[in-house]
Amino acid sequence: MDVISGIFETFGVEWPLFIAQVIVFMLVYAVLQKFAFPQVTSMLEERRQRIKEGEENLTKIKTDLAAAEASAAEIVGKANKEAERLIREATDSAAAAGEKKKQEAVYEANQIISKAREASQLEHEKLMAELKRDFGRLLVDTTSRVTGKVLSQEDQDRINKDAASQISL
Amino acid sequence: MFTDSISSLITGLPVAAVSIKAQPLEFASWLTNSIFVGLLVAGGITLFVRRGMKGATLVPNRQQNLVELIVEFLYNQVVGIVGEKVAPRAFPLLATIFVFVLFSNWFGLLPGVGTIGWDTHHADYLSIAHVHTPLLRPATADLNMTLAMALIFMIVWVYITYKEVGVIGFIKHTFGAKGGLTGIMGLLISFIFLCVGLIELVSIAFRPVSLSLRLLGNIYAGETLLHTMLTLGEKLGLGPVLSFITSIAFPVPFYFMEILVGFLQAMVFALLCAVYIRLSATHEEGDAH
Repeated sequence: MDVISGIFETFGVEWPLFIAQVIVFMLVYAVLQKFAFPQVTSMLEERRQRIKEGEENLTKIKTDLAAAEASAAEIVGKANKEAERLIREATDSAAAAGEKKKQEAVYEANQIISKAREASQLEHEKLMAELKRDFGRLLVDTTSRVTGKVLSQEDQDRINKDAASQISL
Repeated sequence: MFTDSISSLITGLPVAAVSIKAQPLEFASWLTNSIFVGLLVAGGITLFVRRGMKGATLVPNRQQNLVELIVEFLYNQVVGIVGEKVAPRAFPLLATIFVFVLFSNWFGLLPGVGTIGWDTHHADYLSIAHVHTPLLRPATADLNMTLAMALIFMIVWVYITYKEVGVIGFIKHTFGAKGGLTGIMGLLISFIFLCVGLIELVSIAFRPVSLSLRLLGNIYAGETLLHTMLTLGEKLGLGPVLSFITSIAFPVPFYFMEILVGFLQAMVFALLCAVYIRLSATHEEGDAH
């Protein structure tokens, strides 16, 4: 014990000073324990949690983005197909409508031509009838003048009939 | 006294006048210069931490970032040594030891520490010449402080060991024979491990002494070295101008060394404490309890 006491005396170790230093150290411990360690560890934990959440959100966003891109690509593909189909249908429809219109036009043209022919035929017949009538009248007049007699209605009809049969074309 | 004589013999100079004891201040005999510095360091740490963590936000400012950097670094070191399970119990004390020792060691490098004080003839005012009682002395250059830290650590070590492995676990861990041998070899091995356990107990009992004296020795030696370098020119009789120049030039390299020593000693003290906790409080691999 004397040796220890001697060492302590040499180094100036005394109970009051020792206890004072214990108090100083405990003071630092209390300060750090109250103001530093819990706050820092909770702050670090909160930050770690935020980063983890951020990473998870980022992963989710990336997944969602990939899904959205795939969905958009699918929609665009469908739209392209639909557009192609519509264009094809429109082309076909336009071709069919054109053909129909063409046929209608041809039909109408034929109708017009046919009507024109009929009208022409009727005109021709009418002119021929008038011609026959005029020719018959002329023949009757000529005959009556050449013969110098008045032709009866029966003679006139017969001459007209003969003339008409001779000039029928 | 022997070391003083050797030092004087080698250098041919009187030994540096740095007392191994903390000295009471002239204006308050109940307060020593090392306790005074201890209080200043405690105040400085409080100020540093309060300014750093006041209104702490998720996006930290520079001071908060620095406080968090130190605490996170220390926590990772402690976890790396004692493990995730024991770390929450051990961390506050180990971190406090590191921070306090580091700040105290570096405080000792500030100009005026050990060089401003009361001289032998004029106790009424402060002086920088023939200082007998310095106003400021690093807290870790006082055995009272280093012993206090070591003994507080030992109390916490006993508590953590008791909580983690219990009394029986500690006895089995210290004295239990390893290797699973039986028969005569088993008895022999058990006897050997009993002796090893006794040696281990002596080693544990000396831990506070080794911890406290290692820190005291390094910091006191640093103080003495700087004081010697500071006054070397004067003691070599170089004249006032050269003495002034050498008093600035000679200590500079040693200041850098002492910055490193201050950090290393804080780290060594804290790491040794962490290792002691690991040795006794962590379960061995394959241990079922």
